[in-house]
Amino acid sequence: MVRLAIAVLFACAVGAGHASVRSEYELKAAFLFNFTRFVSWHEPPSDSPPLVVCVIGDNPFGDLLEPLAGKRSQGRDLELSYVRDPSGISVCDVLFISASESRNLPTLLALAQEHRVLTVSDIAGFTQAGGVIGYVQRGNVIRFEVNLAAATANGLSINSRLLELAARVTR
Amino acid sequence: MTQKHWRWRYWPLKFKLMFLMLATSLLGILLVCASLIVIENHTYRNQMDAEMNAIAAVVAEQSAAALLFEDQGQLDSIISSLNRISSAELACVYDLDNRLLSIWSSERVLGCPAEIHTLQQGFGNSYYQILTPVLLDDETVGYFYLRAHLGVLAKHLGNFILMASAVGLVIWVGLIVVASALQRMISQPILELSDTADEIADKQDYGIRAPVRSFDELGHLSTAFNEMIATIQTQNQQIMDSYENLERVVAERTAELSLANKELEAFSYSVSHDLRQPLRAIDGFSQALEEDCADRLDETGLDYLRRVRAASIRMGHLIDGMLCLSRVTRQVIEYQDVDISALLAELRDELMASDCDIPSSISIQPGIVAQGDESMLRIAFYNLLENAWKYTSRCAQRDIRVSAEKTDDAVTIIVQDNGAGFDMQYVDKLFVAFNRLHSPSEFPGTGIGLATVYRVVRRHYGEISAMSSEGKGATFFVKLPRAALKGE
Repeated sequence: MVRLAIAVLFACAVGAGHASVRSEYELKAAFLFNFTRFVSWHEPPSDSPPLVVCVIGDNPFGDLLEPLAGKRSQGRDLELSYVRDPSGISVCDVLFISASESRNLPTLLALAQEHRVLTVSDIAGFTQAGGVIGYVQRGNVIRFEVNLAAATANGLSINSRLLELAARVTR
Repeated sequence: MTQKHWRWRYWPLKFKLMFLMLATSLLGILLVCASLIVIENHTYRNQMDAEMNAIAAVVAEQSAAALLFEDQGQLDSIISSLNRISSAELACVYDLDNRLLSIWSSERVLGCPAEIHTLQQGFGNSYYQILTPVLLDDETVGYFYLRAHLGVLAKHLGNFILMASAVGLVIWVGLIVVASALQRMISQPILELSDTADEIADKQDYGIRAPVRSFDELGHLSTAFNEMIATIQTQNQQIMDSYENLERVVAERTAELSLANKELEAFSYSVSHDLRQPLRAIDGFSQALEEDCADRLDETGLDYLRRVRAASIRMGHLIDGMLCLSRVTRQVIEYQDVDISALLAELRDELMASDCDIPSSISIQPGIVAQGDESMLRIAFYNLLENAWKYTSRCAQRDIRVSAEKTDDAVTIIVQDNGAGFDMQYVDKLFVAFNRLHSPSEFPGTGIGLATVYRVVRRHYGEISAMSSEGKGATFFVKLPRAALKGE
């Protein structure tokens, strides 16, 4: 009887999960977290410092990124940081570049390369411009592109599993 | 008889031995095959379990990234690699919220289980199923469900059973050959012993010995059997020897006895015969003397002469009796059915005609039949009737009755009179020649009649007895066996 009740509850929960259509940025936030799990930073993992995820420009996620803080990825705690000034990205490991920063893109990408930061953005043509991972929309499905050359230049190595899923890989 | 031969106790020994060996080996082979099949089934299941676990682990590992990014196309392509696993029939990928992200199934269209956390993992009736968490950095990111049908297992097991049966059969056939050779080691000595016993029983030849081929119990059996036969042979020889000895002694005695008998008979015959001649002379000359010289003899002389003649007549009767007795002793018996009633009736008429001085009645039961020699039986019954007639001559009225009692194997003829009778004290002397229970002055007689009757009855293997009390008549019982029993 108890088991049946649990099963019914579970079924309701699953139904609810299906029913709720997740918003674009909800998905992008989830993706952002997932990217961190398939990218390796070439740093000596001596004491597993926190993995800092930064957002520069206008935050399109709202508070959707908040649940990331406190999660762990590859054994490192995630920290969130909303950066106003390009000089602030030196502490970042992952940098989401908001569409509002598309004018400063070359500067930001150069800085990111210098500080070995994984750059992510949903600006159109982001990877062609030298960004590492860019969101793209295929129909009504969110996918992503990877600029492997940029990643290498930034001192990052990207798991082949992630590359397999990429809509396009620029080498 | 033949329908009983399938029963165990009618089986020949070699069949029993063969059956025992083959049944035992068959049972052993079956048990081994069954154990092998059980073990193989277990091993194969374990192997399949490990294989499926490995496959599930690999696919789960591969699908981790696609699962995280909810890339259905990639997931589909990953799990469709299961096409190469022939036993896999259904695979499903779920995310942490139990949402079904991807489904793959072999030719059959199958539905993924909605409720995965209460699944009974492992072997079911017709399939094997497993649920593996999809891990990324030791963190569960989803679930992979894999189901495999057991067709391959069944086929493998079927092949294995076929192989085991075939090998078992080949081994068993080999064992039949070996067993048929081995059973001879046991059955051969027993069969030889049995054949020897049969041969000895058939030929009555106690010189035959069973071969002794081993020093085990079978060898002991043969040795003991041979010793037994040797003992029997010795005893048999002794019996035969003593038997031959006995035969010889009996033959000698018989020859002596028959010689003595013949001599005695010849003597009594010749004596009787030769006595007639002088007797006839005595009687003839006495008669001549009486007729021709009566006038020269006084009354005393004539009386003496009469006495001489009476004595010679009595002696003539004695000689007749002895000759008769001698004849019935020697004569060969010719068996036939004799109508005793008719025979007695003739004798009665003879007696009635001779000297019927007092009122007489002789009643004879009709239909008495006995087997024997008619002339000898006539003599016997004549003597019995005459005997009765004689000893009733002093009665006021003569009453003689003849009756018969029949049994299965004999007929008893009873001759009863109302005459003088005799003292039962002397019944033993009644049938002995020349023994008389009455003086000649009372009743005339030779003492040979009943002896003759006794001899005739004995020669017919019959019995005779008498019952009486003085003055109250006598009864004679003549028991004659039936012809079939004669000579036994």
